[in-house]
Amino acid sequence: MSATVPDSAAAPVIETAAPTPAPARPGLWRRLLREPGTALAALAVLLLVGAALLAPLLAPTDPYDNDLARALQPPGSPGLPLGADSQGRNLITRLLYGLRTSLSMGLAAVLLGGGTGAAIGFAAAYWPRLDGLLMRLMDVMLSFPAILFGLALAAVFGPGVPAVVLALSVATVPLMARIVRGSALVVMRQDYIEAARAMGMSDARLILRHLAPNCLSSIFVFATLRFGQVILLGSALSFLGLGAQPPEAELGAMASEGRNFLFFAPHIAIIPSVLIFAVVLAFNILGDGLRDALDPRLRI
Amino acid sequence: MARHAAQRLLLAVPVLFGVLLLGFLLMQVVPTDPATVRAGPTATPEVIAAIRTDLGLDRPLWEQFGRYLWRLAQGDLGVSIINNVAVTQELGATAGPTLELMLASLFWSIPLGILLGTLAAYWRGSVFDRAVMAFAVACATVPVFFLALLLIWFVGFKWQLLPFTGRGGPLWTLDGLKAVALPALALGGTLIGPVARMTRTAVLDVLGADHVRTARAKGLGERAVVLHHALRNALIPVVTLIGLQIGFLLGGAVVTETVFSWPGVGRLAVGAILSSDFPMAQGTILVLSLGFILVNLSVDMIYVALDPRVRAA
Repeated sequence: MSATVPDSAAAPVIETAAPTPAPARPGLWRRLLREPGTALAALAVLLLVGAALLAPLLAPTDPYDNDLARALQPPGSPGLPLGADSQGRNLITRLLYGLRTSLSMGLAAVLLGGGTGAAIGFAAAYWPRLDGLLMRLMDVMLSFPAILFGLALAAVFGPGVPAVVLALSVATVPLMARIVRGSALVVMRQDYIEAARAMGMSDARLILRHLAPNCLSSIFVFATLRFGQVILLGSALSFLGLGAQPPEAELGAMASEGRNFLFFAPHIAIIPSVLIFAVVLAFNILGDGLRDALDPRLRI
Repeated sequence: MARHAAQRLLLAVPVLFGVLLLGFLLMQVVPTDPATVRAGPTATPEVIAAIRTDLGLDRPLWEQFGRYLWRLAQGDLGVSIINNVAVTQELGATAGPTLELMLASLFWSIPLGILLGTLAAYWRGSVFDRAVMAFAVACATVPVFFLALLLIWFVGFKWQLLPFTGRGGPLWTLDGLKAVALPALALGGTLIGPVARMTRTAVLDVLGADHVRTARAKGLGERAVVLHHALRNALIPVVTLIGLQIGFLLGGAVVTETVFSWPGVGRLAVGAILSSDFPMAQGTILVLSLGFILVNLSVDMIYVALDPRVRAA
């Protein structure tokens, strides 16, 4: 009995990982948008990314345009629908530019950390001799939280956006490496990999042409989910003062600045925090939806 | 069991060495020269050279690392550049409050998370289940500083129910409990979601298992089935998750301590980094890293003790 269980359990895993390039499957968007929550999240992500991209066009004023006479104005003041911050800067403008900085930081970290992690994951899956060493290294990295990397890198390079992006990337590497290794190992068992090898295809070509494209859905799903987490962590590091430095607009740093005025102008801290919450929530729900549609195996 | 424990301990040694080496090397990259800082702004080059020799900064890197390890072994982490206090002394004063805050957070959030997760699994598909899951998603998504600011604004400032800055004393005093309440609520709030979610999944898995059906078939009451047969088995993955989360809780503690001016290691670390106090920053980061290694090691051990299958493997 016990001998048959693993076999029957393993079989569907191999089947579901059949080498169909998942993103090209017909009806993906329909499947994805059938869930009202996912559809709403996708719309929110679209709006947020659009707002960040078009910040210079949408913002009513310059992000550094201060007017101390308007400092701490509450939402609804004339010309200031969301109020002004401690320097009298229009909060809408600051939010748009802050969103831009936060999303850029997240994107940079996911690309850098995710790319490195994916390369390590492929290497570990492709060369079994490297597997043990690489994965132990990833385990060690995984046991330290991003905040600690952030503290260490900010101590060395000085507080700023580069230190935070680097910290978030480092924290993303082991997670992506594990996901990619898992997917790549399943693909490696497919017959066409064996066939490509038998035909004398080079390692690099095999990884790039066959292995990587078939792991893309896992990578894409994880990157979306990770993007939300990275924004959350990045905003926390900026909130601590280790990230974006004033007067640069960044959502976590804006919330941190607003903390000093919490009792008489709470909107300065609360509105950027709510926006971070919304961004992370939208990416998390979209990531969950993508996972269910593209790669249900990743579901915990 | 003993073999597994020994293996884990052995694995922790290179990790520890790696953390120490990395901590040492990172500080070599720091643009500030410790000898110049110590000598002060008016020192002559001769004085700086003498301090350099005195601190061993003119020695080869490997020798400096050896000296660094030797000093660490003696409990010497250097002296703060800002206030000239020994780093170990500051760490000694702040480690207790950080532990207090973490314990207080775990104390309320884990039982509540397990309870919510179990009930959600038991009433699967109900409104309660959906509400718990939505709550879990919100908990995992909310920035801890947002939760902290809301608690400060409403509970601390508007309703004036609890204090929101600093530590009130030891946990066994009323003042101490009052002061830790809001930081612990904020920090623990981020933990409930993952714990509830994991418990729900694990209990659902176990509720469908053969032994639970057998327990029901032999006429056991629902309470006994859920508590003794389902939850007990479901707790193994939950404990692993809690262990992993405790490490990350320490990360969250850094933010919580800063918002609530809680005198812990995290706040000390952030302050040291922002004021370029390198010895203090290095010391606090080292201690936080050691904390993570210790927590992970302990979780491994607890896991082995809980799950006989791991012990046998």
